[in-house]
Amino acid sequence: MNKASKASYTDSAARGFRRVRGHVDPRAAKALIAVGSLGAAASTFLAWTWTAAFPGDLAVYGYPGGNQLITLIVSILTLFALGSAVGASGLTGTRWLVPRGRVRLLRGLALANAASTWYVLIAIAWELGGLANLVAGAWVAGLTVLLPVVGAYLLPKDVRAPAPPRPAPRPVQVGVIFLVVLLGLLVADFGISTGYAEEFIGFCLAAGFAGRGLAVSGVFERFSALTARNRAATGCACLVAAVLFAFLQTSDAYTTVADNILIFATVALGLNIVVGLAGLLDVGYVAFLGVGAYTAALVSGTAASRFSGVVLPFWAQAVIGVLVAVVAGLIIGAPTLRLRGDYLAIVTLGFGEIFRITMNNLDGQSGPQITNGPEGIYGIPDLRIFGYDFGQTHTILGHAFGRFANYYLLLIAVTALVVFIFSRVNESRIGRAWAAIREDETAAEAMGVHGYRFKLLAFGLGAGLAGLAGTIQGHLTSTVTPDQYTFSASAPPNSAFLLAAVVLGGMGTVSGPLLGAALLYLIPYKLQFFSDKQLLLFGLALVVMMRLRPEGLIADRRRKLELHAQQSLPAGEQREAVGTDLQEVEANA
Amino acid sequence: MSVTILLQLVENGLVLGAMYGLIAVGYTMVYGVIQLINFAHGEIFMLGGFGALTVYAWIPGVAHLPLLAALPLMLIGGVAVSVVVAVGAERLAYRPLRTAPRLAPLITAIGLSLALQQVVSLWYRLPGGVNAKGPVSFPSFSGKAFNLGGVLVQPADIFTLAAAAVCMAGLTWFVERTRGGRAIQATAQDPDTARLMGIDTDRMIVLSFAIGAALAAVAAITQGLRYGQISFDMGFVAGLKAFTAAVLGGIGNVRGSMLGGIVLGLVEELSSGVLAHFHTTAQYGQAWADVWAFVLLILVLLVRPQGLLGERVADRA
Repeated sequence: MNKASKASYTDSAARGFRRVRGHVDPRAAKALIAVGSLGAAASTFLAWTWTAAFPGDLAVYGYPGGNQLITLIVSILTLFALGSAVGASGLTGTRWLVPRGRVRLLRGLALANAASTWYVLIAIAWELGGLANLVAGAWVAGLTVLLPVVGAYLLPKDVRAPAPPRPAPRPVQVGVIFLVVLLGLLVADFGISTGYAEEFIGFCLAAGFAGRGLAVSGVFERFSALTARNRAATGCACLVAAVLFAFLQTSDAYTTVADNILIFATVALGLNIVVGLAGLLDVGYVAFLGVGAYTAALVSGTAASRFSGVVLPFWAQAVIGVLVAVVAGLIIGAPTLRLRGDYLAIVTLGFGEIFRITMNNLDGQSGPQITNGPEGIYGIPDLRIFGYDFGQTHTILGHAFGRFANYYLLLIAVTALVVFIFSRVNESRIGRAWAAIREDETAAEAMGVHGYRFKLLAFGLGAGLAGLAGTIQGHLTSTVTPDQYTFSASAPPNSAFLLAAVVLGGMGTVSGPLLGAALLYLIPYKLQFFSDKQLLLFGLALVVMMRLRPEGLIADRRRKLELHAQQSLPAGEQREAVGTDLQEVEANA
Repeated sequence: MSVTILLQLVENGLVLGAMYGLIAVGYTMVYGVIQLINFAHGEIFMLGGFGALTVYAWIPGVAHLPLLAALPLMLIGGVAVSVVVAVGAERLAYRPLRTAPRLAPLITAIGLSLALQQVVSLWYRLPGGVNAKGPVSFPSFSGKAFNLGGVLVQPADIFTLAAAAVCMAGLTWFVERTRGGRAIQATAQDPDTARLMGIDTDRMIVLSFAIGAALAAVAAITQGLRYGQISFDMGFVAGLKAFTAAVLGGIGNVRGSMLGGIVLGLVEELSSGVLAHFHTTAQYGQAWADVWAFVLLILVLLVRPQGLLGERVADRA
């Protein structure tokens, strides 16, 4: 079938669908959504299968378990979204939140529920071998989750002009921000704490479709406008939520995961300064993490260190680690950054490889004994800051903080620091110089931007931030080996994963690499069966992303315009994007 | 240090360098016409080796032929696989991004390189179900080494040097004497004007990818013959070295890439060999060869960034 006939086929189908929709009373459609959601919610209290062979108490009557919980939550959210749409004007204030219409949100939520629930039902039938394993509750769930989808698509899209933003009082705005961030925390906590692969996939399906619903209905737009006006409050809210996460955890299992995600995310954010802001492709970035980790390990006082007599406090280790990483970055960057941009890619790739070889060779056989070669430096002691021993369990506000929770709190501080540096630099003269260089270096130079100096600054800053993360990583893992810092491996962080996190998440944004790192860590961690195929899939994902959505999951407005230069954005969006840039210019003037 | 040892190191360096040069041609030609570092070229090289091995191991009877008779068939197989993959990658992955910002095709190339490696590691099988997750053995010449006044020359070395000489002579003739070659040069110099002169620049770009892939496949076979094994990840280091060779010789410059390859091979062998020979520096020998090659790249970029023979690329920046 060629493209034209396919298009006309879908066109006529859409026309037919619209004709049907014209004859349906919106009240009937809303009733369908309500009945379906209530039914789905009720079905989660029934058993979905007869045996406990499928993980997560699905065979129990009386309370929801495992994947049923996801269905229940999404059903309730659908009812809430519907409730705010029922009546003449809905709940006051909620209309402003959803500028592009609540129906799109309802569709997203209905799809989320259907996708997640149907996935579980199919998984039960597949894994236990046959539809016979689905008991009555499952059939009720499977049918009722479809009703809201039908209902939501039978409702006409309520496209209205966005209500003029009526600035709420400051305390209300701040309250909304805190509320939303805490909700986000709960969602993230649920995702990290999923106990088995099916639950994680169900969570991803639900979160993905619901997130899309929130995006197309404009909720994110509203929220990001809100955060843009209350940046300090947003920062506080995120920090509070991140610290609260540690209080939500009772065992080390998921704090360890969170630690690893934070290290990965912090380094990805540092790489984003280099790749996303300055447009320099560094494909050996993990080596700077290694430089920091090795430096800290050498002066940490472990018996395996060549300089085991030297025991420096952590702040000194961090300073030295950062300095060594910056110097390494300058040595690599200084000769290369003057040349055409592509040379940097190959030199950094070479540097990554050389770092690994050198650490392998400094073992007393092929070179002086400094790093123990492939065995690495082990027994790195736990951190101690102001007498606070990270290896011990401390009780704060009635909650016991174990080793990994201690590191978690420190890493939150480091991530916050990196986010702060990232956003402050991005909005300064330096950030605008980087954007100019990225877009057209010749033009930027003609305007008086010193290209080489700013590129070197980006490269050095990126190296330093990775070095800082490395100094903590060394203590967290208590062993540093050369094989932790390779170009590609089956577990993050390595240079290929870091690049993937930045590209998939969204180059040039703060939240993009954080989301990308979380996904890229959790997917292989939760889906063990998938572990030998992940490099293949990430490779293909990079290729497909560059083709279809080069701006990543979370798009930077300016970059979206850059990347889709020839296929212009819809008029409204373009006007808005240009508008933001104008506002920026005015604000800076 | 005796002259014989030195000559032996030179011989090793020449052979290694000839192989780097053959791979480097692929980087330099593609960079010349579209200013893309084809990161996946190392994997194109690796696939050429597996293509040849497939012919040897899977086509009945080939393994029983004398190696010299089987080699032409293996060459056809290796070149075919490399060229098909390279042209496919150009069509499906790179061409749609030709007007995109420079970072986009570069990231695509990295993704492609990871994916191709994994495809071979996950699904390649030899007869008998041996997988390719580790190195797999490659046929090698059974004859004894020739002794030229104390310098040992392996049969595979002769094949490598002969293959490199034939390929480079053929390529130089093609690029400098034929209409197609001149069209590639014109595309590299100024794609817009070349198009106005009636050159199908898209075809020239495909042709550059194909030529580079064919030479990379030949290089992969020489590597297999020399070391008796190939592996799914051999493209990474080989690609890195070959790109270094291309930059050394002057990117975009076909003769330069062979010269750069040979210089790199000599530096690598001589530096590690000479260091290994003396007692005080012995430990900085073989294990550090890659480091010395890389230090050379940095030095060249500092002193002569346009390469030994000068770069020849379009002014598109």
